[in-house]
Amino acid sequence: MSAVFSAARSAVKGGGAVGGRKLQAVIIAVVLLASTATSVIALGLLVNAHGPFDRAFAQRSGADVTAAVDTSVATRSQIAATTRLAGVTAAAGPYLGVLATARVTVPGVPGSSSDSLRLVGRSSPDGPVDDLTMDEGHWPANDGQIVMARGAAVFTGSTVTVGSNQLTVVGIAESVTGTADGWVLPAEVAALTGRANPAQAQMLYRFANAGSTSAITADIAELRAALPRGALLNNPASYLSVRQSEESIIAPWVPFIVAFGLIALVISVLIVVNVVSGAVTAGTARIGVLKSIGFTPEQVVASYVLLVAMPALAGCAVGAVAGNVLAEPVLNANAHIYQVGALGVPLWVDIAVPLAALALTVIGAVPSALRAGRMSAVQAIASGRAPRSSHGYIAHRMLARIDSLPRAVTLGLADPFARPARTMMTLVAILFGAAAVTFGAGLAISLDRVVADNPNTALPVTVSLNRVGQGQSSLSLGQQHSVVSALAAEPGTLHYLTETDGNVSLPGLSESASVTAYGGGNPAWSGYTLISGRWYSGSPGAAEVDVNTPFLTDTGTSVGSAYTFGSGGHRVTVRIVGQVFAPGQNPSAYMSAATLAATEHGATEPQEFDVAVRPGISPSAYANTVSGVLGSSYQASLSGGSRTLNAVLALIAMLTILIMVVAGLGVLNTVALQIRERAHDIGVFKSIGMTPRQTLAMIVCSVTFIGFVAGIAAIPAGVYVHHGVVPVMAHAANSGYPASLVSVYATWQLVLLALAGLVIAVAGALGPAGWAASTRTVFALRAE
Amino acid sequence: MSELIRLDGVTKRYDNAAAPAVADVSLAMYPGEAVAIMGPSGSGKSTLLNLIAAMDRPTSGAIWVGDDRVDMLSETAAARFRRRQVGMIFQFFNLLDDMTVIDNVLLPAQLAKARASVARKRASELLDVLRISHRRDAYPARLSGGERQRVAIARALMNKPAVLLADEPTGAVDTAAGEEIGALLLELNAAGQTLILVTHSPDLAARYSRRVIAIADGRIASDTPLRGAGR
Repeated sequence: MSAVFSAARSAVKGGGAVGGRKLQAVIIAVVLLASTATSVIALGLLVNAHGPFDRAFAQRSGADVTAAVDTSVATRSQIAATTRLAGVTAAAGPYLGVLATARVTVPGVPGSSSDSLRLVGRSSPDGPVDDLTMDEGHWPANDGQIVMARGAAVFTGSTVTVGSNQLTVVGIAESVTGTADGWVLPAEVAALTGRANPAQAQMLYRFANAGSTSAITADIAELRAALPRGALLNNPASYLSVRQSEESIIAPWVPFIVAFGLIALVISVLIVVNVVSGAVTAGTARIGVLKSIGFTPEQVVASYVLLVAMPALAGCAVGAVAGNVLAEPVLNANAHIYQVGALGVPLWVDIAVPLAALALTVIGAVPSALRAGRMSAVQAIASGRAPRSSHGYIAHRMLARIDSLPRAVTLGLADPFARPARTMMTLVAILFGAAAVTFGAGLAISLDRVVADNPNTALPVTVSLNRVGQGQSSLSLGQQHSVVSALAAEPGTLHYLTETDGNVSLPGLSESASVTAYGGGNPAWSGYTLISGRWYSGSPGAAEVDVNTPFLTDTGTSVGSAYTFGSGGHRVTVRIVGQVFAPGQNPSAYMSAATLAATEHGATEPQEFDVAVRPGISPSAYANTVSGVLGSSYQASLSGGSRTLNAVLALIAMLTILIMVVAGLGVLNTVALQIRERAHDIGVFKSIGMTPRQTLAMIVCSVTFIGFVAGIAAIPAGVYVHHGVVPVMAHAANSGYPASLVSVYATWQLVLLALAGLVIAVAGALGPAGWAASTRTVFALRAE
Repeated sequence: MSELIRLDGVTKRYDNAAAPAVADVSLAMYPGEAVAIMGPSGSGKSTLLNLIAAMDRPTSGAIWVGDDRVDMLSETAAARFRRRQVGMIFQFFNLLDDMTVIDNVLLPAQLAKARASVARKRASELLDVLRISHRRDAYPARLSGGERQRVAIARALMNKPAVLLADEPTGAVDTAAGEEIGALLLELNAAGQTLILVTHSPDLAARYSRRVIAIADGRIASDTPLRGAGR
């Protein structure tokens, strides 16, 4: 075997010139590096998107379904009977609980905040279902103590006041599916309930069949059937919604990275096949020599496979390391979400991906290597060089008749026909590269629209009271008049909305919905795009709301549904008239100030004015001017941007460039092989007067047609991938999507993108073409 | 008569440690001459031909062809010089396999951006003169050695070069074809075409040239005018 290894190693070291095997080895190593790195990132993220939640869910016996039961409708025995239903494998509860409006005071922080909290009475954090994890402190030992859920902006020592009851936070715990905002001893619940906030019974279930939404829906239907009508409050929460919500930060990244990874792998295999095929073709005489000195066909095959495997192995190893380094920032974000310490690319991914890439490479190399093994020694030595096929003669003949084009150009254009198989593989590699460009560009436009279809962009200036460190306060009627006067006097004002933010409880669900109420103008000015339906009517008594996708998913509603909000004991039924594109983990609702006032059972003054400025006006300068007019009691500031989306855009750009480089290397390899095979012909061309510029033009033109065709074909391919991936990303982000997010390509953009293939082809060809153009005629003529 | 080609102290080294391929060669050639450069293998005669054709650059010395100082030309200028001034004939023809006879012959004119109609007329005339017009649409692989060399000569003459450089033009053809090629070259010279012929055969040199420059170890060993060459 050492002879085989030695033959392969010397072959790699042998060629220094363009088209030499040293260059081919570098190309193989680089393309494998790029594709392995991309695949490691993709698979690493994919695994980590699901892994931590599933692990925690299994370890802590997370609740498949969390249900709130109206104890005034169902009796204790009827509730207990649901735990014995056929599909139920484990159950916990009933835990009496209450939805209450609470004031939270944190030591050292001035003032207090008001929030709607779901408080549940449990005697211990343990249980057959939803085994809670204590992060800090201890479980309540006496009345007047509460454990708050992880993520609340409190710590031990804070106080939570419900009505006249003051509770001290003695610990922080986590429920894997977020079944409550806080836990007290069961005896405490009675003290917290009242006419405005009656007790509910929380039931936690695990089912034998809970792997899909349809299975969970069937389980809930079984529960509903087992209880009296109206006992089950709204739609019980499914762990699938929680999982999807938890994953929604990292999950949207995965689909496009997987798409890029697959594209990179396909290109790599094509390039490797081209490299080995070219090495066999160009090394015919060498094969003959190897056989004449005693190499068996198997040893010849092995030496050619090793020729590829050695640089491929190096590329895969470095690619795996690079993939880990590049995946780290994204995984760190995920680790932060689950608070599971450091997350890394699993070891099996680090082993499996490079091995798979290497295996694909070797498989790609085998057919050509087998061809080398079958070649007879006499035939190989006698030919002395690659036997030239008669392909492409007709193309040469026809193109020579086109007098309107320079001869160097027609010579180049005829070249791809000489080796149709290689041409096809190069074309497909460019096609994939150009498709990645079309896909990446479309993705960038889509994400740009996500940024643009956002209040921070549409209403870039926010005017509110200046109360540093005291939280956001509502503006009194007089203060609102002052702001309105200031905005009206400022010529840069385009329009504005008043904004009131709050939370409303979603009966039957552990989570609450954030509410934004706009006043003083058209809600469409908010910048949000509607996925379906229409904006709410602001007329008094309309009771209409628009909601985001998580709201519809979590509450099991759709556009047109009626839904009952609960705040404390107060219930208001509204009609959902539109679905707003507002990706995120939490349900959100958008309504008029009047509807919010009805929901909150009282007047709600705005907390801020959101202002759009006229075109050409700098939001920053505008904010400074308004601040100056209003004085120090107010602040006019710029709305925040999205760092995450900027990071994603940067990642898309990086992956697109990476794939373009890989595809360009494929072209470089093809052109290098072509020059190696046609070195003598190039010498002849030069000897009869072909200038370096004509030589360059001839060689570059040999791939321009391929690049042009690939670029055209890449447009539908890239658009198809974009149209497939964007909905998957939106789904992973727990959101629907407006049509404008998919229909992003303008005709002029498609025309420009169609040139991507040409750019890849020309960029890949320029290096070797430049080398061939500058080579001295005598050197080229001697080359064989 | 003014010189067409002049070499002043031309030396060419491929390797500083080794002996030069051409060593301090000075000579002059005149329009209409038929000069044979003769010497054994490795004597430097082909290197000398390549230097005159600006296909390679001397290590030192100066080379003039007409008004061009060819050793100072850039690669682009050298290519243009070859188009205009030089026609090259090689031992192994160096025809392009994937092009027909007519396309091979047309190529120098097309690279020189000559008018297509003029170039086609010239190519047809040359194929007629060289008695190969009946094979104009054949590919080189289908031609005999003699036919291939006649195509190569036609291609070399396409742009009406000042000098025809032939490197062992009969070395890869049989005797009869060699005679035919030799006769053709003489005819061309008789019509005024300057011809420089590289050969290792004294007999060939004597028959097809009027002046023989013998080269040994890269140096001029002798420079002898002949009488009645080819007759």
